[in-house]
Formats: sequence, C-alpha cells, structure tokens
Amino acid sequence: MIDRHAETQELLAGYALQSLSGGDAAEADRLLAEHVPGCSECRMMLDAFQAVAGELALDAEPVTPPDPLLPRMHREMDPRGRRGIRWTAGRLVAAAASVVLVVGVGGMAFAQLGDRKASHVPTADVQELADFALHHPTQQQALGGNAQEISARGVQELYVYGRTVPFPAPGLVYRLWAVSGGHATHLRDFLPYPDGTVLVRLAIDPSTFDHLLVTVEPAGSEPSEPGDPAWPETG
Amino acid sequence: MRDGDREDLELHRRLSSGDRGAFDELYRRYAGSAYGLAYRVTGQQILAQDVVHDAFMALWRTPEAYDPARGSFRAFFLALVHHRAVDLVRRESRLRARSERAANLEPVVGEDHADAIAEESFLGVQRKEVREALAGLPPEQRQVLEMAYFGGKTQVQIAEELGIPLGTVKTRTFAAMRKLRAMLEETG
Repeated sequence: MIDRHAETQELLAGYALQSLSGGDAAEADRLLAEHVPGCSECRMMLDAFQAVAGELALDAEPVTPPDPLLPRMHREMDPRGRRGIRWTAGRLVAAAASVVLVVGVGGMAFAQLGDRKASHVPTADVQELADFALHHPTQQQALGGNAQEISARGVQELYVYGRTVPFPAPGLVYRLWAVSGGHATHLRDFLPYPDGTVLVRLAIDPSTFDHLLVTVEPAGSEPSEPGDPAWPETG
Repeated sequence: MRDGDREDLELHRRLSSGDRGAFDELYRRYAGSAYGLAYRVTGQQILAQDVVHDAFMALWRTPEAYDPARGSFRAFFLALVHHRAVDLVRRESRLRARSERAANLEPVVGEDHADAIAEESFLGVQRKEVREALAGLPPEQRQVLEMAYFGGKTQVQIAEELGIPLGTVKTRTFAAMRKLRAMLEETG
C-alpha cells in the first residue's frame, strides 16, 4: 500500500506541474477520481504540491501588464455577465452530482462526489468543459430535449451538454447539424450516455453558422439532408 | 498565517460578494506576478495579456472556485495563471518559437517596473523564499522542474530532450516537489 501511495504521489507531483501526458495523464485522472478523494494522505499531498506549484510562480520576475488591461476587464464586469457565468458554474456542479468530477482549476482541483455508477461520462471530457467555462465568457442556447449549446464568442470550440436527454428509438441516432442561410452541414452523430447525459465537444466557431439543429436519423445512414427535428422545440 | 494571506482572504470574501474594489486590490497585488509568469511561460506579451485577463475574469466570475481550506489565495491564483499559460502554449504550436530572451528566463527589458516594485513590498518575502528554495535543489532536479513549469513541457518531452529515462524525470520531479514543499513549509 505504501508503494501504491508513492506511485500515486509521484503522479500527483507531475499533475500539479501539468507535465503529465498520455497514459500518465489518464492514470492521474483515474486516481483523482477513484483514490484521492478517499485517501487523506494523498489528498494532503495533492494540496501541498498544488500550493508549491502556485508559489513557484514567484520565481518569475514581476512585470507590469499594459495599462489597458484593467479597464478592459472593468468593461466586462457587468452584473449580467457575472450571473451568466455563475449559472454555468452551477451547471457544472449539477453535472458533478451524478459523476465523480475532478475539475482542474489552475492546478487547484476540486472534487464533488456522487453516484458515479450512474454516469459514463469520461472525467477528462467533463474537465474540458469545466476548463472551457472557466476561461471564457460563455453563452447558452437551449437545443430542446434538455440539451444546451454552450459556446463563447470568437472561440473555435463549443459543447452540446444535457442531462436526462431522452434516448431515440432503437436503431436511431441523434444527428447534429450547423445551419446557415438555409444550408445544413452535418457535424456529428451521437447518443446519450446510459444515464441520459450528453456531452459533445465540437471544434467550430459559433459565429460561422446561424444555429444548431438536432435531428433523429437511422443509425449509419448517409447524412445528406436533415430529417425530422429530434425534439419539438428544436430548430 | 501571514498578514498578507489574511488580507487576501478578506479581499476574496469581498470579491465573492461582488466588490469591485476588492477585485482592483487583488489586481494591484498580483497582476505583476501573474503577467511575469505568463510572459515567462508563453514568451509572447500579447498571449501573456490574454492569460492574465482570462485568469482575473475567471476569478471575478467564479470566485467560489477558490476554497480557503485548501491553501493560500496566492497559490491558488498563480496556479490558475500557470494552468492557463501552459494550456495556451500547448494549444498553439506557433508559441514553440519563443524568443531567446524568454527561453533564457530573463526579465523583460524596458518594461515599467514601478507597480511591480510596489508589489514587491507585499510579495518580496515570499519571492525570496521561493528563490532560495529553488536554489537549494540539486541542479538536475531544478532542471526538470523548470522545464516542466516554465517551459510547459511534458515529462515525456523532458525525457526526450535530456536523453534520460522517463522514470528518472518522474523521480527527479517528485523529489524536487517534496523538497520544495518541505523548504517552503519550514520558512512559511
């Protein structure tokens, strides 16, 4: 058990420095989800390493940022924007209610424990969404079927996220389209995870299309034209 | 707990209730360190600005992301800046062509350090302790630590670059982090 802790803590040191990749990163994610929350020794070590990672920043010479930076942030600090982002953070915590969610926030991870048997969403995917929401002023657009489009202006990345999304009939899949000027471009087919969660990441700039459309189609069919909208309130 | 840390906690509490004055004070305290760190990691001023902007706005929008029970505000916030900076470096391959000056880890020449000097009076003690702790590491441990932290390199990349086994990089990193932890706890 001691060896196991040593191996775990060696990974946690690399995790705190953000220097893991490949299999090590995946193993660290697994340990953060399955072992660390229940191990006080490893939790304490993770906090300690993350504190060291924060303090290491002081080795860099301080440099005054350009003058316009603070006024630029003041302009973006309107109460509406703040509430919007709080909603996003709330949704992330809601997602964590059904999964073990470990969200790296600048190396200072926080974890919410729940019934992880109920979900099959990969932790790394949830972490990507959390990172996106923390670093961009996000906008949300209801897609129907309890699913939302989460995007940020000017960022070539968006997410389709939903909970308790109904399953299509057997043999059918959901098909995602970007609609612009009456023309629909096929993006991806997807199905909810077994607990009804949907989390799809797309590398696409939201300003390049008018809206997303979700249709329901036969699995494996040629995505030539959109069929019926998946949910009445869609498109 | 040091006075500065206690003041940070109070500022964070006020920030959490939407106090813009608290935000400005935290900016005055940490913008110089954050920008210096972001510049050292990214090697580009325009990207360093984005990093600092994103980190402060994330703090304003989700102050609850900081849990005082898990460490100092300073460590949390500067780790957030580091996270964002490394993320940018890895996403943007063009950043790999960083300037020689940044690669040599030298401070920016010609920048106005007036505010940074003011900030030094607050963070000066901690900065001195961190530098002394780093200087106390064996050179091979310090090397892998700096390549990971300031170079934004993965352990695999470090092993390839230094021509040493990945396991050795892991061992040196772990040893360096444990020593730093012990040294900083001793002084803190």
